[in-house]
Amino acid sequence: MTCEHRDDAGAWVLGALSDDERERFAGHLPGCEVCMREVAELQMVADTLPLAAPQIAPPPELKERIMSVVRAEAAVMQAAGPAADAAPAAEAPGEGAAARPGPEPAAPERERPRKKRRSWWRLPSLALRPIPAAVAAAVLIAIGVGGGVLISGGDEARTVQAQVVAPSSPGARAALTTDDDRATLRVRGFPAPPPGRVYQVWLKRPGRPPDPTTALFTTRGGDATVEVPGSVAGVDQVLVTAEPDGGSQEPTRDPVIIASPA
Amino acid sequence: MQLVRRGDTLAFEVVYERHATAAFSLAYRMTGTRNVAEDVVQEAFLSLWRSGARYDRTRGSVRTWVLGIVHNRAIDALRRSMVHDRRRATDEGIEERLEAGERTDVEVARRDEAREVRTALAALPPEQSRVIELAYFGGFTHTEIASMLDTPIGTVKGRMRLGLQKMRGELNGLAEALA
Repeated sequence: MTCEHRDDAGAWVLGALSDDERERFAGHLPGCEVCMREVAELQMVADTLPLAAPQIAPPPELKERIMSVVRAEAAVMQAAGPAADAAPAAEAPGEGAAARPGPEPAAPERERPRKKRRSWWRLPSLALRPIPAAVAAAVLIAIGVGGGVLISGGDEARTVQAQVVAPSSPGARAALTTDDDRATLRVRGFPAPPPGRVYQVWLKRPGRPPDPTTALFTTRGGDATVEVPGSVAGVDQVLVTAEPDGGSQEPTRDPVIIASPA
Repeated sequence: MQLVRRGDTLAFEVVYERHATAAFSLAYRMTGTRNVAEDVVQEAFLSLWRSGARYDRTRGSVRTWVLGIVHNRAIDALRRSMVHDRRRATDEGIEERLEAGERTDVEVARRDEAREVRTALAALPPEQSRVIELAYFGGFTHTEIASMLDTPIGTVKGRMRLGLQKMRGELNGLAEALA
């Protein structure tokens, strides 16, 4: 017994199919015994390939970086109680190549908790909620009408102006500078967060809820410079929301700054 | 993993300690730069922390699961940044290193397994090992590989499958043991 797609099995387990082909093969697999058997056998071999890489110990500071995020998130979850515990895991992003073969895609996702209303990041586009026209002018101040316009650039760092939405902050400005896959957010003339809250930076990737970062900040004299943790590669928007002290696992308020990395 | 699932940071730390070297080694082998490899490992472990509930032990070991996430993340990093002209690990002359104190029985066994896999890979006809390495470690699609090697796509896919099948024979049950 054979199948015309059998040769795809090798490319599939190696992650070498294009997105379209991967989707097609994923649809084909469940109904084809030949390919399923082939994939099962070859996957076992592919899983040994990491052993062929020269073994290099990671730098100790990497562990510290990871553990500091983990501890901070655990503290937030603990403080929020068991109800909040489920949300981040349920919303856990599919791994980057979620449709690729491997352990992740087939693992069942936990049921999402019911919410009273759809959160803004689940809306079709990341537009802010509509604001009544009568109050819009007073509440919504978009600085740099062309938010996202490249205002400086070159081969190295590139800076874009961010859309700033903040009540009572007519002079507020924000800019995001990206250098390779690192980003720095600078805000000027921006009001301090409400009492008991802190600004938190989020990374939004296409089709996924925003990923929390450990970048929590307030403003001093209206100014702040924030290094965005991690890589912004693949990120289409860097967002800022005002969250309870200590930060959140998922945004509890609408964004006050929206920046699209250049 | 049950404890990680419940948000136990110490349990997560144990998982990190056990698999960080393999994860970093794979990420570094694929991306060829320390910074990118660190980012990949960080993203992978944080996503593991945030989505531990998705681990299904009936589908393989934690190690396989972790390395699967790292591999996918590294492919994403490669395809996003198209750093295919990156320097390779070997270009930087980094030697395999494990502290003497870490040479436990487990590490010794791991090294034996690693040697076995490398031997099996090296024993393949060069055209088969090349496409496997370009795909798995290089993150290239079979179409890109076909173009690079000026070889028909069907031939590339066939070499991948045949090469993996031969490795399976060479590995003599190691693959099943690690699954």
